[in-house]
Amino acid sequence: MLKALWRPTHPAHTTLGLILWSLWFVALYGGLSVACELVPPTLEQGAVNWLNASLLLLTLATTGVLLWLTQRCWRAAKRFEGSSQERLIAQVGAGAHGFSAGAALIVGLPVTALPPCL
Amino acid sequence: MFVGLIALWWQAMRRDPGEISQEQVRRLQNRWILAGGLALPLGSIALILALGIPAGRNMLPLPPAGGDAMVIEVKAYQWGWRVTYPDQDIELTDELHIPTDTPVDIHLTTADVIHSFWVPRLAGKLDTIPGRTNVLRLEASRPGEYRGQCAEFCGIGHAHMSFTVTAHPPEEYEKWREKAQADD
Amino acid sequence: MTEPDPNQHRAFERVWGNRPGWGALAAVNHTSIGLRFMGTGIFFFLVGGLLAMLIRTQIALPEQEIIGPETYNQLFTMHGTVMMFLFAIPVLEGLAIYMIPKMIGTRDLVFPRISSLGYYCYLFGGLIILSSLFLGIAPNSGWFMYTPLSSAEYAPGPGSDFWLLGITFVEISAMAAGIELTVSILRSRAPGMTLSKMPIFCWYILAMALMIVFGFPPLILGSILLELERAAGLPFFQVAGGGDPLLWQHLFWLFGHPEVYIIFLPAAGIVSTLIPVFAQRPLVGYRWIVLAIMITGFISFGLWVHHMFTVGIPQLAQAFFSAASMLVAVPTAIQVFAWLATLWVGKVIFSLPMLWVFGFLVVFVCGGLTGVMLALVPFNWQVHDTHFVVAHLHYVLVGGMFFPLMAGLYYWLPHLSGRMPSRNLGNWGFWLTFIGFNVTFLLMHLTGLLGMPRRVYTYESGMGWDGLNLLSSVGGFIMSAGIALIILDVVLHFRFGKPAPRNPWNADTLEWATRTPPSSYNFLSQPRIETRHPLWDRPDLPDTIAAGAHGLRDIGHGRREIYGTDAVHARLKEVIHLPTNSWWPLLSALALAVVCISLLIRTYPLALVALAVATGLLLRWSWENGAHPKAAPLGLQEPTDPPLHSRTCDGPGLWGMAVTLLADATLYLSLLFSWFYLWTVSPEWRLPEETPLALAPLVLCGLLLAAAVALYSRMTQRLRLGQDRNLLANTALVALLGVLHTAALIGVFAGADLRPTELAHDAVLMVMLFYLLFHSGLATVATGLQAWRVKLGYLSARLPYEPMVLKPFWMYTLGIFWLSVAVFLLLPMAWGSA
Repeated sequence: MLKALWRPTHPAHTTLGLILWSLWFVALYGGLSVACELVPPTLEQGAVNWLNASLLLLTLATTGVLLWLTQRCWRAAKRFEGSSQERLIAQVGAGAHGFSAGAALIVGLPVTALPPCL
Repeated sequence: MFVGLIALWWQAMRRDPGEISQEQVRRLQNRWILAGGLALPLGSIALILALGIPAGRNMLPLPPAGGDAMVIEVKAYQWGWRVTYPDQDIELTDELHIPTDTPVDIHLTTADVIHSFWVPRLAGKLDTIPGRTNVLRLEASRPGEYRGQCAEFCGIGHAHMSFTVTAHPPEEYEKWREKAQADD
Repeated sequence: MTEPDPNQHRAFERVWGNRPGWGALAAVNHTSIGLRFMGTGIFFFLVGGLLAMLIRTQIALPEQEIIGPETYNQLFTMHGTVMMFLFAIPVLEGLAIYMIPKMIGTRDLVFPRISSLGYYCYLFGGLIILSSLFLGIAPNSGWFMYTPLSSAEYAPGPGSDFWLLGITFVEISAMAAGIELTVSILRSRAPGMTLSKMPIFCWYILAMALMIVFGFPPLILGSILLELERAAGLPFFQVAGGGDPLLWQHLFWLFGHPEVYIIFLPAAGIVSTLIPVFAQRPLVGYRWIVLAIMITGFISFGLWVHHMFTVGIPQLAQAFFSAASMLVAVPTAIQVFAWLATLWVGKVIFSLPMLWVFGFLVVFVCGGLTGVMLALVPFNWQVHDTHFVVAHLHYVLVGGMFFPLMAGLYYWLPHLSGRMPSRNLGNWGFWLTFIGFNVTFLLMHLTGLLGMPRRVYTYESGMGWDGLNLLSSVGGFIMSAGIALIILDVVLHFRFGKPAPRNPWNADTLEWATRTPPSSYNFLSQPRIETRHPLWDRPDLPDTIAAGAHGLRDIGHGRREIYGTDAVHARLKEVIHLPTNSWWPLLSALALAVVCISLLIRTYPLALVALAVATGLLLRWSWENGAHPKAAPLGLQEPTDPPLHSRTCDGPGLWGMAVTLLADATLYLSLLFSWFYLWTVSPEWRLPEETPLALAPLVLCGLLLAAAVALYSRMTQRLRLGQDRNLLANTALVALLGVLHTAALIGVFAGADLRPTELAHDAVLMVMLFYLLFHSGLATVATGLQAWRVKLGYLSARLPYEPMVLKPFWMYTLGIFWLSVAVFLLLPMAWGSA
């Protein structure tokens, strides 16, 4: 069952990337809000502080994982001919993973420029 | 961009493509969708964010270079604005007075529902939220009277919940302040 | 064109048709329900439009006092509420309910009685909300009901209650549609119609349905919490008790932003359906569009905070939401360019529906561009809550929803009437609407940029707003004239329209293979579908279907039967037998309406009685399933290959339960979100010194539940293997364990030292306990009824279906119980001791 799910032609892969993106987004926003309530970094540090650094790290890690999944689906798509069911799913999966990777990067980048809790 | 897109669409509806092979369609699809569907919006987003984020950062109420900003407390209520100058014994209703070229932090609170403090010509708007104090940075570069208004719907009196911000040159502001303190 | 054999047609009509006269109220047929949804939606649209005209009259000139602030506030609140909740969503649901079974080549939705319940809840809820307007006590806090303006202290009248209770009632219909459309699309497509061969419209509707499933629960929870605060004084949104008014905004916009896309996606689906037909070419970039739909569905849940940029959220967090909001432009651009490419390669037939599609493009792209501007935080701080936003949202909603809807109306009109609309009147209608709309709202952008805030009932002269407002009002009236012409056109066409030939636009999708107007059973025989464009590749399909050349042409058994297929590959799995006309949905909806009204007038004993009656009716309804004599009793004329669904372990019911639980879990997650939100962010949140719940009895209670679930799950496993020894005893034992568990839970609840009116903490705990109690009680009652059904022989090794449906519910009940103990009890204890 799990093995079938993991195959890049399983329909679950069309949403997996977007689900990961959503979880990352919740972690990013939730983590920021909770950290700002409980242990806010000092204002003088600007955008360079432990909180922004860990959010950036999280973002980069998520992007990396998503890119890897993109490549996996993309390669699977090439193995199938024409407009078969498998090919469609693998292609859409690659697109969704790829978009999620880009989206994570774009949404996450402001942590390099803005102070966290102001 | 908008006009270009509409023109393209119009042209697409009118033209007669003749015979087109499957292969040509695929090439067209990939070219158009990659260029128009991905590159165009992503490029615009990158551009807007690159301009927008620094602009937003400049509007942050960071501590100004020369010590603390001047503070004015504004408490919104249904339907008006109570203005207090801390430690200066000045209380006003529906009017603020500020010196020009001086960063002023408005500390916004509310006595009842959510209102929103907005002086269009000086800064963006910021809501007053029960239980919280929000800080809005104002700075007027030119003296004069600026109109402000509640921007968050707050009940029957919402339409008439306006106020004024008067910016004086620093010397005149001092005079105004002394007079106001004497009046109180 | 072959007509079906008249005898055959009559036999099918006898089984599938509605009852005559008043009996039509018991109809469950998707064509009837879809039309009722759309008709009622158009009625509410006219009401909403009338309110808009009154609003525009009041602010046409400065310093007018025609209407006065109190009435004005009610008018704009109701305008937004009616248009969003009573027009836009229901009309699109109606369209989907009408179209989806026809497009996927089947005869009805898989839960027909649920469609009917949904319709009546919508109708009654809508009428209740509308009645407040005529009583002069309509909600007046704006359609997003921000607390504390909408709470008991600042809105003491019943207006807010009408909104909260009425909308929650109406939302039952949205949830019902969301669940049944999802399951129908996944489990009842024509054999052979794999996901990649599904018409693109179905992808859009699938996304919309799933978004409803995940998007509405936060608002339902918010409405329940706010109504509890108003009626019983639980301080969820009051700072003094440890609540936070911003929680409402989060819950509302968690729903509110996806809702915009719930409205936009089906409308875009109409565009994607029409363009290939009028270009007479397959849609270019089918898979790109599928991808775009999915991206939209997900991303739209990550932007809610962009409605809250001015409440004082850290700028970094705003930047996240700002970037995410702009990213929505990507899937939209993909679709626009795919449409463009389709038009480019095709030879376009320019007719009335295409005119509306063109209008859609102009208006919607404009609205999209202002949307990207609004997503930019500094710009947003300036124009948020001004008329600029009002103009933007009308461009997006009218452009993105109303224009495609009109295109769809003219496109499908021949399908539902069998007649063609007139060209002349329709053109006039379009141009008046289009010009009127742009005059009204293009100018309103300027009014907003000049600083006019929204929701003011009047304004001073001399601010530069006078002329613009007057022109906007004139535009509004031009638009109404256009809409009046369209209505006239549609009404006249029923009488004078030319009879439509079969498939008048030479479309590729299966809905045009039915008769026009459609028969109650859609297809006399159910074909196998091997291609994405069935009517282009096999133009003889309508004839062979009518001639009975395909599957399920037998009707002698008197059951309403459709094919059930698997979700991805559409391989034939079972024959689903659907319930026939039924009064239970109407009666249940009536009882629920009484609950709603008695809560409004705060007559709680009556509400309890009505609730009990409603529960009884719903359970009685559920009784007529499976092997019940009214459904499909065991025995005669029973197909075995494929079998009837109630003889299998995996039918639409299980899928329906799974999707329902997804919605339910979203509701629970919203409660968890509220809990953590209040805990970390609320300014005056307090944890009580001692936890108010007794831990030991709660653990005991949970162990009883675990035992019940373990036993039930072992029983279902054995049923799956065909063993039903001791089935009655086992089921009864599970029910007994359920009773003990529920009783223990009630005991814990009664013994708890809760002060819900003083502490938001205790108030949340109370809601959580009620939630657990509801699930435990329902699982127990359902199992008790199952034991009875075993006794009557409706449930056995040959009929293992129903326990399979209930099992996930038991598992879910167990899961939320222990999760609640951990999150609401152990975590605060650990925190307190740390």
